Amino acid sequence: MTDSVPLPAPVVANVWQLRVAVGDAVDVGTVVAVLESMKMEIPVEAHVAGTVVDLPAPEGTIVQEGDPVAVIQL
Amino acid sequence: MIVLECENNLMFGATMTIAPNHHALGQHHAVSHPRRTVLERREAAAQRIEPRGRRTMTAEERAVALVDRGTFTWINRQYAAKAGVVTGWGLVDGRPVVVTSQDAAIASGAIGTALADAVQSAQRFALDHGYPIVYLNDSGGARIHDGIKALHGCGGIFNLNVKATRRIPQISVILGPCAGAAAYSPALTDWTIMVRELGQMFLTGPDIVKAATGEDATAEEIGGSGMHAGTSGVAHLAVDDEEAALAAARHLLSFVPSHAGAALPGLPSIDPDPVAEARLSTVVPEKASIVFDMHDVLNGVLDRGPRLELMPGYAPSIVTMLARLDGRPVGVVANQPKARGGILDAKSSVKAARFINFCGRFGVPVLTFVDVPGFLPGTVEESRGVITHGATLLRAYAEADGVAKLTVIVRKAYGGAYIAMGSPSIGADRSWAWPASEVAVMGPGGAVGLLHRRALADADDPAALRDELAAKYREEVASPYVAADAGIVDDVILPEETRARLVGALRVMSPIVSTAS
Repeated sequence: MTDSVPLPAPVVANVWQLRVAVGDAVDVGTVVAVLESMKMEIPVEAHVAGTVVDLPAPEGTIVQEGDPVAVIQL
Repeated sequence: MIVLECENNLMFGATMTIAPNHHALGQHHAVSHPRRTVLERREAAAQRIEPRGRRTMTAEERAVALVDRGTFTWINRQYAAKAGVVTGWGLVDGRPVVVTSQDAAIASGAIGTALADAVQSAQRFALDHGYPIVYLNDSGGARIHDGIKALHGCGGIFNLNVKATRRIPQISVILGPCAGAAAYSPALTDWTIMVRELGQMFLTGPDIVKAATGEDATAEEIGGSGMHAGTSGVAHLAVDDEEAALAAARHLLSFVPSHAGAALPGLPSIDPDPVAEARLSTVVPEKASIVFDMHDVLNGVLDRGPRLELMPGYAPSIVTMLARLDGRPVGVVANQPKARGGILDAKSSVKAARFINFCGRFGVPVLTFVDVPGFLPGTVEESRGVITHGATLLRAYAEADGVAKLTVIVRKAYGGAYIAMGSPSIGADRSWAWPASEVAVMGPGGAVGLLHRRALADADDPAALRDELAAKYREEVASPYVAADAGIVDDVILPEETRARLVGALRVMSPIVSTAS
C-alpha cells in the first residue's frame, strides 16, 4: 500500500458535515469536512492531494484536536 | 635627503621621503616593518576554511553579509577569531548594529572562556551605545575542556541577554546545530530565525538523547525548524537558506528603533492596495459563524509594502505582524477566523503576549483587530494551563504602557476573549467597532438559552422563539451602539473609515518617527 496520511482535526469539535466520500480524489485545499466548534463553522482542508481512503469520524461525532478527520492516500 | 624604498607600495605609494635631520633611522623600521607584519598576519588569518555541510558561508562572511556593504568593522579581531567567534559592528540600512557570528570551523563553535568573553564584550558595546545586536549562532554549546569556566561564560552571555531585553532589540539567527547554551541564549532574545535543514536547536543532539533516554530521533526531529517554528514556538521564522535568514534579520530591524526610547524608523506613507481597500466593506461575512481571512481586512487598512509576519506557522488562529501604517512601524495583533475559527487558547495567547510585550518595550504602536469566538474551553486546554497563559495576554496589554494601543472590533468579541484582545479596560487608548460587530459576555445562542430557559421550554415553536430572542439580544445587549453608548467603544465606524481613524490617532499619540535615510 502506498503512503496514506491522516488529516488531523485542528480543534476539538463536532463533525458537522463531511464534504467528501471514501474514494473521492482531493487536492490540497479541498474542503474535506466542516467542523462545528465555538459556534464557528471550521472547514478542514486537505493538506495533501490524493484519494480519501477513510473517514473515521462520521457526522455528529466529536473529534479531539489531532484526531483524524480523514485518511488520504497519496 | 634619504629616500627609502617603501616595503608596501599599496599603502605608501612607491617611495617615501624623509628629511635627513629626522634623527632615528630605527624609526623608519618602526613605521614600515610592523605594517608589513600587520598585512602578512591579516592575510594569514584570512585563510578561508571551506564551510562544512549545508553551510555556504564562513562565520566572517555571514557577519559581513548581514550589514551594509563595506561597513563591517571587527571588535577584538584576533582575540575573538581565535576563540571561534567573529564580533563586530556595521550598518543596516544606515543604522548601527552589533553582530556576533560563531565559527563552526573552530571546535564546532564551542563556547569556551574566551569566546564567551568576546561575545559579552560585543553585548556590552551594544548595550552601552544603544545598538541592536544580531547573534549568528552555529555552536555545539559549552566547551567541555573549559569546565566550569565555560559554564560561567555562557551564564554571563545569558545575563547580558536579559539585561538587554528592555534596552536593545536582540535577534538570533540559527545557522547550524545549536546545542545547550547556544540554544538558550536565543530563547532569551526577542526573535529567533532558523534556516530549514541547516539550523537546529536542542538541549542535546541525537547521540546524547539516545544515551540519556533511549529515544531514537534525528537532529531535525528533535530541534529542526519544523519542530520549533511549527510545534514548540521556540523559533519565530523559518527560511530556506543563509542569505534569506540574514535578509529576514535586516527586514526585522527595519521596523524597530535602535534602542528603547529611540525614534521609530519611518518611511513615506503608502496607501493600501486599492483592490483590498475597495473590498473592505464586504470582506466580513454577515453570519458570525462563517470564517474569512483576516489578511483581507489588514490589506485594506495597512500601508501596502513591507510586512513581516512573525510565527506564521505557530498558533495560526492569531496573527502577529510587523507592518506600517502612514509610514510608521506598527505591531498588528489580529484574530484569524480562517484558522481554527480564530479561537484564543494557551498557545495563541502566549504568541500574542510575547509580540505585544516586544512592541511595548520598543515603542511600536499595537493595532488590534478583533473577531474572536472566545477562549477554547475543555479538558485539553485547561491541562495546558490556558488560565495562566490567557492571563499573560491580559498582562501584556496592561503592561505595554507608553505605547499607543488602538483596537478595532471587526465582528465578534465575546467574554474574556473580548477583554483580552486589547480592550480599553486593560489599556487600549482608543477602540472602535464596525457596525455589524457583537460585543457581549457570550454569543446570542448561549445567552438566550441561559436567560430564557423556561420560556423556551414552554414555547410552541422553540426555534422561532429562540431566533426572535437572539435578534433582540443582538440589538439590545450585544450591539456595538450599546458599547458606544457606554463610552467604552469610541465610535461605531464603517470599515472604510478604519484607516483614517487609526492614522489620525497615531499622528497624535506616536509622533516620534525618524524619516527614512
